[in-house]
Amino acid sequence: MFGVILYSQWKWSRLIIGLGTVAGFGLPILSVQSAARTGDQPLQAGDLLQTIQSWGALYPVLAAALAVLVAIATWAPDHRGRHVHALSLPLPRWRYALLRFGAGLVLLAPPILAVLIGAGLATALAAIPAGLQGYPVALAARFALAVGVGYAVFFAISAGTTRTASAILLVIGALIVVQVVARVANVDLDLVTRLQILFVNWPGPLAIFTGRWMLIDV
Amino acid sequence: MYNRGSRILIATLLAAPPLLGQTTAELRARADSLAREWRQANALADLQDTLRHLARRSGQDTISVGALIILANSSPLPLQEAAAQAWPVIERLYGPAAQAIAEHPIVIQAVDPDTAVDRPPVGEGLQVPWNLSIGDLTRLLQSRVDFGPVDPGLREWLGGSPLLGSDPAPRRAQVYVQLVTAPSIAVRRCFLGAVDACRDALSLSDAPDLLTRWYDPAERRALAMQMFHLRPGANQTRVLSCKSGNDSACLDLLASSPPGTIARPLDYGARFTLVEQALHMGGRDAFLRLLDAKPRDVEDRLAAVAGVGVDSLIAHWLGEIRAARPVPADLPPWGTWVALGWMGVFAAFGLGSSRWRVS
Repeated sequence: MFGVILYSQWKWSRLIIGLGTVAGFGLPILSVQSAARTGDQPLQAGDLLQTIQSWGALYPVLAAALAVLVAIATWAPDHRGRHVHALSLPLPRWRYALLRFGAGLVLLAPPILAVLIGAGLATALAAIPAGLQGYPVALAARFALAVGVGYAVFFAISAGTTRTASAILLVIGALIVVQVVARVANVDLDLVTRLQILFVNWPGPLAIFTGRWMLIDV
Repeated sequence: MYNRGSRILIATLLAAPPLLGQTTAELRARADSLAREWRQANALADLQDTLRHLARRSGQDTISVGALIILANSSPLPLQEAAAQAWPVIERLYGPAAQAIAEHPIVIQAVDPDTAVDRPPVGEGLQVPWNLSIGDLTRLLQSRVDFGPVDPGLREWLGGSPLLGSDPAPRRAQVYVQLVTAPSIAVRRCFLGAVDACRDALSLSDAPDLLTRWYDPAERRALAMQMFHLRPGANQTRVLSCKSGNDSACLDLLASSPPGTIARPLDYGARFTLVEQALHMGGRDAFLRLLDAKPRDVEDRLAAVAGVGVDSLIAHWLGEIRAARPVPADLPPWGTWVALGWMGVFAAFGLGSSRWRVS
């Protein structure tokens, strides 16, 4: 059963996975391209760290994009077919959803592996100044966690009913309205910042996406 | 030829008696008299200041724990508790030298944190809101201890007084980052273990060719461009020459800059960690030796403080800095488990519903 679901999901999302794998492999290599110039003038350590940090902003973006697109591709055909195929199977809903979730995670493995291989290759090729070190495994592990968390979030949203999605949207809308009204009424209430702190700072669910993503660091 | 008026003027000038200048003795007497007046005025001003200070301090509380003496106005500020916590730390950090702070009480002016009334003018003590917590107040007291005058050479080299913090690890980690990232050949060589380069990078050496020892030609060019590229002024030709790779032009440019404007390879923080290292190696009396009034080079002073040669001190310092490599990952140790937990939570949301989305 899992093989069939995995195969069907692969057909729906292979373009995303393919592009994500190429991007995952290329990103670390591009990020150290300046340092990899072992010729007469490699970058100084400070400049190298700045370059790596600038490129590092793209890892969480790639992780989030992969997570969203694969999560949507996981459920879109089911939604379009009004779940006829799922309902025709002798499986409870939770088990069917679990198979879908697992298949999505398996399909996300190639981009994660690509980041690991690309990062390993990039650090091996680069002329890293003394005192700095490459962290390909730590970076790939963080990328895997970010992809996993993002995928789980958007899987849950995609798997929900329209009513659930509407409720979530309503809550967000209400928060914005309250914030705007509070600002107009000159009330000291900053919900947006509080929510941002709650979600984006540790141990918030999106904290894994934030911070510095450094392939090479001290 | 001359008119009548001119003739009268010339005759008057010729008939006038010669002017007598004052003698040296008279001049000295007048100067002495002025000096006496000046001394009297100063004495009166000092007396006035003392009386004003006494008047201000007459209503003040004196808090004394060990050699830590605090003069403060009456307020709910928990000074006694904070002083009780601060003194053992100060004594541990500075050893016998801590007794010297008794001669320099900390004057605190507790102020109302909420009032809209203008605060009294700054000048008489440190203004502190009286709702400050004990922890913050303790740290404040530790950072305000005053040992009196410090050797000017040491003060200038260190960028201030040598006041110690309790945990050197964060400072050492910052210096590690500097050692690794500073665009200076001296710093890179220092990191790799060259003690002479460390001495240069820490500005302990006063060699005349420091600029060439701090920076290699490419770094000198970058530095000169950074300083002169936007405002070449009269140096237009040299700037262009330096930009095209002429090192002597770059050196000329840098040499023409005002003293103290060229960025030094390592900042005051790095020098401070060297002082900390010397104090650590020098034992309990080390701070007394650091404050020793006898004028001497910073290098000699640090060697005396540490009780070893400067090379040995720098080698130990470098070892400590290398061992303080900061942990680079932004992910906290438990971050992996938190992320996996959130993954599980959201996956459970996705699996939990018993309904199918049909629209």
